[in-house]
Amino acid sequence: MGGIVIFIFGAITVLLSIRMPIGTFRMAGAGLFPLCLGILLMALSGIFLLRFLFKKWQSEKKEGSPSEIPGSVMQVLFFMGAMILATLFFKILGYPLVSFLLMVALLRILGMKQWTFNISLSLITAIVSYFLFVQWLKIPLPKGWLGL
Amino acid sequence: MLESLQHLASGFTIATTFYNLFYCLIGAIVGTLIGVLPGIGPIAGIALLIPATFGLHPTSAIIMLAGIYYGAMYGGSTTSILLNVPGETASVITCIDGYQMAQKGRAGPALAICAIGSFIAGTIGLFGLVFLAPPLAEAALAFGPPEYFSLMVFGFIVLSNVTGTSLTKSLMMAVVGLIIGTIGLDPVTGDARFTFGSISLLGGIEFVAVAIGLFGIAEVLTNVEKPLEMLEQRVIVPRFRELYPSLQDLKKSITAIIRGAGIGFGVGLVPGPAPVIATYASYMVEKRISKHPEEFGKGAIEGVAGPESANNSACQSAFIPLFVLGIPFAPPTAILLGALLIHGVTPGPLLIGQHPELFWGVIASMYIGNFILLILNLPLVPLFANILRVPKKILLPLIILFCITGQYTVNNSVFDIGIMLLFGALGFLMRKWAYEGAPLLLALVLGPRLEVAFRQSLMISHGDFGVFINRPISMVFLLATVLFLIIPLIRMTFKKTLKGGG
Amino acid sequence: MKRFFTILFALSLIMVIPIHAAGFPTKEVQVIIPWAAGGATDLIFRALAATTGKYLGKAVVVVNRPGGGSAVGYTEGAQAKPDGYMLTSAVTPLTILPHQVTTAYTYRNFEPIINVVSDPSMFLIRSDAPWKSLKEFLDYARKHPDMITVGNSGAGGGVHLVALAFEKTAGVKLNHIPFSGGGPSVTAILGGHINAVSVSPPEGISHVQAGKLKILALFAEKRLEMFPDVPTVKEQGVDFAMGMWRGLVAPKGTPPDAIKKLHDAFKQGMDDPVFKKNATDMAVNLSYLGPEPFGKLMASEHEFFGKLVKEIKK
Repeated sequence: MGGIVIFIFGAITVLLSIRMPIGTFRMAGAGLFPLCLGILLMALSGIFLLRFLFKKWQSEKKEGSPSEIPGSVMQVLFFMGAMILATLFFKILGYPLVSFLLMVALLRILGMKQWTFNISLSLITAIVSYFLFVQWLKIPLPKGWLGL
Repeated sequence: MLESLQHLASGFTIATTFYNLFYCLIGAIVGTLIGVLPGIGPIAGIALLIPATFGLHPTSAIIMLAGIYYGAMYGGSTTSILLNVPGETASVITCIDGYQMAQKGRAGPALAICAIGSFIAGTIGLFGLVFLAPPLAEAALAFGPPEYFSLMVFGFIVLSNVTGTSLTKSLMMAVVGLIIGTIGLDPVTGDARFTFGSISLLGGIEFVAVAIGLFGIAEVLTNVEKPLEMLEQRVIVPRFRELYPSLQDLKKSITAIIRGAGIGFGVGLVPGPAPVIATYASYMVEKRISKHPEEFGKGAIEGVAGPESANNSACQSAFIPLFVLGIPFAPPTAILLGALLIHGVTPGPLLIGQHPELFWGVIASMYIGNFILLILNLPLVPLFANILRVPKKILLPLIILFCITGQYTVNNSVFDIGIMLLFGALGFLMRKWAYEGAPLLLALVLGPRLEVAFRQSLMISHGDFGVFINRPISMVFLLATVLFLIIPLIRMTFKKTLKGGG
Repeated sequence: MKRFFTILFALSLIMVIPIHAAGFPTKEVQVIIPWAAGGATDLIFRALAATTGKYLGKAVVVVNRPGGGSAVGYTEGAQAKPDGYMLTSAVTPLTILPHQVTTAYTYRNFEPIINVVSDPSMFLIRSDAPWKSLKEFLDYARKHPDMITVGNSGAGGGVHLVALAFEKTAGVKLNHIPFSGGGPSVTAILGGHINAVSVSPPEGISHVQAGKLKILALFAEKRLEMFPDVPTVKEQGVDFAMGMWRGLVAPKGTPPDAIKKLHDAFKQGMDDPVFKKNATDMAVNLSYLGPEPFGKLMASEHEFFGKLVKEIKK
């Protein structure tokens, strides 16, 4: 599965780099190096896929996939979603608010059911990191709505 | 020789004044703190605190800023070990065995060996600095584009298969890293490559974002996927007796530390991402010569001790080109150069002659600083190790928050946070399909330099490939690369014929 | 859980150690530097920010927004709210990059405030180079076109274009080798991997002082104070002078009285003896221009580089 994705990645690289100036080795254009890399990657993943198929065909052995613990893909998606939302609203809402909301959301996704504990923990985290990064280290984090 | 010792002695008198000791201590503390926070590396740390040094005497200022530099390099390993989040480029390798040690409840020994290894490497590096600085700096100049290209190729082939699972898979990841490294403005022609019209992509993909994504975020996501009940657990909590390395650990580590220090010092002189190469190289060496290579990747203490020592001594030798030539080979030293200028000291070939008190004072303070770091950090080991007592369902959101904050501070860029999340998701998938992140990261660091060196060489030679073999240093590296690739093949065929005969 | 709070408590204790004086005014003025910390521009404006603060009455904070060969920082600077609180450092590439790639800005998106520094560019060679004078260098280059390697600090960057423009004026053909910054290009010439290097101070100056490198060609109107014996190329019969300027701009539409206030404060900051000493140590050449002449300078440079880039691309 991974091999196929990488093969496609290599093919895309080749296609995109052909559109760039290639030049000669004396005066290499922008596209020469990525073009070589794309071809190399396609070759490598090609070998990998062929070998994989050959092995499969030879022994009918199943792919030695790493242990699949029955878990929740949804949980990962929710988690990812919360992080992406936080990133999108990072500038608008400002750092103190985003850090608080993100903590609340992530804790909830990981099964923190007591709201009082969740919110107070998130509040403490947001305040501590605000003082640490903004007040003490003087990092210009976005101020956002609260103007902090 | 004797003269150097005299100078060093006077340096120690300067460095041990109360005033300078105080700033050395502040630098070491701030550096450790900055290093522990992911993202904010030594570069941002020094840059942030330069204004705070405006009122100080130049020597005190540089002592403090240098303290931040090596303190941060030291602190970077802490998050690698505890949370699998590489705080700095140089602590990527420490993640591999350090995090495994922590998962087995041996976070204490891993953290402690970092402090001890860094101190020993610092001592070795100091003597290197004192006695070898001027000739070594001159030697480093012999590296032009062709030599640089051959060194990179060598580093690439030898180091990319870090974890030793599958050479094909590692090389694939390395090439993916190389391709990602070409994103942005072409350094030679100035054309935009693979940017799809995005201005943020013009500057290329930020290494720290990829590193934190592939290691830290991916690790968090892997944990999140587990059933909720498992998140109630904590990592195995170490008993107090196991907080510090045992005698056996020390015995195992000491040779690794000394080798790492040597490798780091040598590699640190080469322009470019010296600490990264030094740590990868040290790890590979330790794995190669180890009597139990199968332990590597599962929590071998040598895999932490060697690279961390290499990292520390590479940082020290990075000061040589800065002080002797006035040329910063690594980005953190570039910022130190700026700090020197602001304080009215022009770095360059005349610096040691014009400001002996500064040069020798800073050198001596680096040694004292390493000692301070050791006594500062050993007591902190239990505190840090206890972070793992926090239940995972609370720890994981905290890691995410710190990663996001830290990543933003690198370039003040929200876009970089997005890149970090993207590579986090990618790293999550890569784990599922059993691909390694380390070769990709190495390629991302080396790739752009490899390409530029290659093209510069051919521009200088007017397209003649002979430039790579006509120059002795370059040829040696290329020969070594070929030997490295051929020897296993010969061995394999040799073994096969033996078997066939038998 | 108790442990966790202990750690939080410990962290908050560490935070109490004051590094910065607490209680900055809430509305400080920010200056965007479109390059990473530690470069020439960053150094100059960090030093200037330090002295200007007291005249402005509010702190001046330097913010690094590197990336895209300065495009990222300039884009953000141009799109900032035009209220005088977000300034951008304007350096020669502001008038170069828009000709090379599609950018969301040109110099016209900014209001000029002040020019601070203007440094002549120069070619450096090793002291043991075979050429004793500019004339010998040019004669050799004419006889061996494309053979002399000249390093620069990045393709399409200021000193690269200076080298190209000089090549055209002098009627020779050189082999330009791009490096990723002034440091690497100076390292390459020290190691003898290239024949000459195109730089702008403070790059390489300390090596000239140490006698390892020498100034082959100085593209200035008048000689440098630091090296009074080095003639300009104009004195040697090549009509060419070019350099890098570094000033400050605000987004288009910033109210004139804000511009005036900022200009006055930065002018006072420039005249401050502390900044003057810093500038001398860095070997940069202070060159004050008010808003209007600075705007004219940017306009003429924009036109000049537009023509030059077009010619190169042919």
